[in-house]
Amino acid sequence: MAIKKKKELDTEEKSPENRILSFPDEVLERVLIFVKCHKDRSAVSLVCRDWYNAERWSRTHVFIGNCYSVSPEMVARRFPNIRSVTLKGKPRFYDFNLVPPNWGADLHPWLVVFASAYPFLEEFRLKRMTVTDESLDFLARSFPEFKALSLVSCDGFSTDGLASIATYCRNLTELDIQESGIDDLGGSWLSCFPDSFTSLEALNFANLHSEVNFDALERLVARCKSLKVLKVNKHVTLEQIRRLLVRSPQLTELGTGSFSQDQKLRSDADLESAFSNCKNFNTLSGLWEVSSVYLPALYPVCANLTFLNLSYTALQSTELAKLLQNCPLLRRLWVLDTVEDKGLEAVASSCHLLEELRVFPADPFDQEVIMEGGGSGVTESGFVAVSEGCPNLHYVLYFCRQMTNAAVATVVRNCPNFTHFRLCIMNMCQPDYLTNEPMDEAFGSVVKTCSKLQRLAVSGLLTDRAFEYIGTYAKNLETLSVAFAGSSDRGMQCVLEGCPKLRKLEIRDCPFGNAALLSGLERYESMRSLWMSACNLTMNGCQLLARKMPRLNVEVIKEDESDDMHAEKVYVYRSVAGPRRDAPPFVLTL
Amino acid sequence: MELELGLALPNNHLMKGLDLNDGSTTNSYRKRGFEEAFEEVIPKATLPLFVHKNGGDGDDENDSPQLKNSPELNSISGNRALVGWPPVKHPRRRSAGGGAEERWSEHCGSNSDDGGGGRRAKCVKVKMEGVAIGRKVDLSLHDSYEELFHTLNQMFPNMQHGFAHHPHHHRRRFMVTYEDGEGDWLLVGDMPWEDFIRSVKRLKIFS
Repeated sequence: MAIKKKKELDTEEKSPENRILSFPDEVLERVLIFVKCHKDRSAVSLVCRDWYNAERWSRTHVFIGNCYSVSPEMVARRFPNIRSVTLKGKPRFYDFNLVPPNWGADLHPWLVVFASAYPFLEEFRLKRMTVTDESLDFLARSFPEFKALSLVSCDGFSTDGLASIATYCRNLTELDIQESGIDDLGGSWLSCFPDSFTSLEALNFANLHSEVNFDALERLVARCKSLKVLKVNKHVTLEQIRRLLVRSPQLTELGTGSFSQDQKLRSDADLESAFSNCKNFNTLSGLWEVSSVYLPALYPVCANLTFLNLSYTALQSTELAKLLQNCPLLRRLWVLDTVEDKGLEAVASSCHLLEELRVFPADPFDQEVIMEGGGSGVTESGFVAVSEGCPNLHYVLYFCRQMTNAAVATVVRNCPNFTHFRLCIMNMCQPDYLTNEPMDEAFGSVVKTCSKLQRLAVSGLLTDRAFEYIGTYAKNLETLSVAFAGSSDRGMQCVLEGCPKLRKLEIRDCPFGNAALLSGLERYESMRSLWMSACNLTMNGCQLLARKMPRLNVEVIKEDESDDMHAEKVYVYRSVAGPRRDAPPFVLTL
Repeated sequence: MELELGLALPNNHLMKGLDLNDGSTTNSYRKRGFEEAFEEVIPKATLPLFVHKNGGDGDDENDSPQLKNSPELNSISGNRALVGWPPVKHPRRRSAGGGAEERWSEHCGSNSDDGGGGRRAKCVKVKMEGVAIGRKVDLSLHDSYEELFHTLNQMFPNMQHGFAHHPHHHRRRFMVTYEDGEGDWLLVGDMPWEDFIRSVKRLKIFS
């Protein structure tokens, strides 16, 4: 139907000569269906007017990386046939409390427009958006074909909102509320799925605080034969997990609840057999409060595991080592630093196919948990050990309290294919602890060796030299996160001048001022956004930027009235929608 | 450079422009009440927060944090007072280890009395003398002292060793103590389980 409508328009507009020469529209649109990636689609739309039109009519999924870069009306006007929307809202530093609450990124205006433009919408994938219960209720009632709702790091809603989704979305296949801040009003929302509802394929409520009604959950799992992903919260006990597994051996991804002592568990053998029955697991997570005596029950499912998320589990190195011996096919591993370097050595010896490693700090703030005789958590030697055993490693997120330039150089020599390198030395401005030099050379070696690097997060004591390296070598860099680093404006300038593919730049507590900000005048329109907080920016500098670049939104967050000249938090982003109309009083658009 | 013992930020040029809205100045981990309550601990001089090159004074009973290698900064108080540093998202911090930085109201670690309507997690820290890593135990998953000791056994295998080989005093070689709401340190097991649950803040095990 969409294609026909478009053809009528074209025959009116085109002259006969052009129609003979141009590629037949039907063929083009059929071909374009196979172009899924939004970056490719953007490229297609720029070829010529025909291709622009063919692309907009055939696009079914739209990705909006910054909800304020475009308005919902504009999206609806350009793309008539959208079935799936991905929308991202607040700046990433919102996750670390740097953005005040009530900043914005409200989903509702989008829902209102899309309810009339896309009545057959099936999916919303949201990140860092504010979603209220009213919005969820409106969504549930407005889109009869709705299938998938994914809320990552969202907030503003409660379990009442989930009840609306469960009640009205008859065709729901996916409900994923991971890491969202939910007002927990109790677990009865799960009981709102009607008895006739059987289409669920993925359910993730791992971060919900309260207990859900287990009977309702068990019945839901039993009747949804296509359920593949189930991630429960920590109130679900071992015995309950056992019962759920018995009902759904077809699961491919499981997030367990609490994995500790459960009086109701009849026997360990029962638990093991429930797990053994599940032949298709590729992902395992959850495992809150693990009693290591139950870990062997997992061994049967470890053989095919590709992703193991132990970031909520305070495992020790020996426990991890035993577990990993059963996971030879592991590609992604998330752990807490309680496993220490020894645990990482076990990773290196058991998981040779590893591609991604994330090591989170168990106690990033409370210094009571301290290791004897050395650093706490993991150190540079664990990092090096993993790089020696896992040559395919290309994604790392590593929290530690000490690092050396030499170790990082060794790591990238062993693993030159890093695409994502995020190193967080938790003690601010800490130099190489052996040589006492800045960590410039570490990141220098990263950017020189890893030519495919797309994402970089730096830490430790860093001078402008580190940024000179980044600007000189990191030609594929798209995202850069900087904190407590650099010596002068030159640092930021090097990056803005030298990294042609830079899209997201987030900076906090660095000595970069107006000169640095303005050196990027030409760059910001080709970037998604720039965040700078606790730097040396002034209102004048920001106003100058705003004046010179009218298609950028230059926003300053002003939280206290004292220093009028200083621009404490600045958020700059390109937009075709003009300045925000919903900005709260503390957000000043210049 | 001598640093102050306390949570006030040192006067340091790198600290300018910090957002101090966070206000997490609870310093319960610095309480000294424990040593006074139980005489077994070797009395030691108050540790000034000097920077040491490698390891502090080797005292493994240390309740005060030790600094390793930050010449300019009191990284401990710096980290605690600094908003959003280290950059860890809240859910992981909360479940895994503790930390004061919570954006949303949270049950694990709080002492709030549950008014009914669903079990709430009640996690308290457990530290054992001589063991470097502290653990956390969810008391709401236990119904009695026996269950609690069973879990502690599993968390601290040394303790298990102690049980098996030296059965005396209260059938335990190890003493399990807890800090209550008023900051006093008491022996675990002396009061009814429900009262214990309500007042316990954290546990400490030692021989």
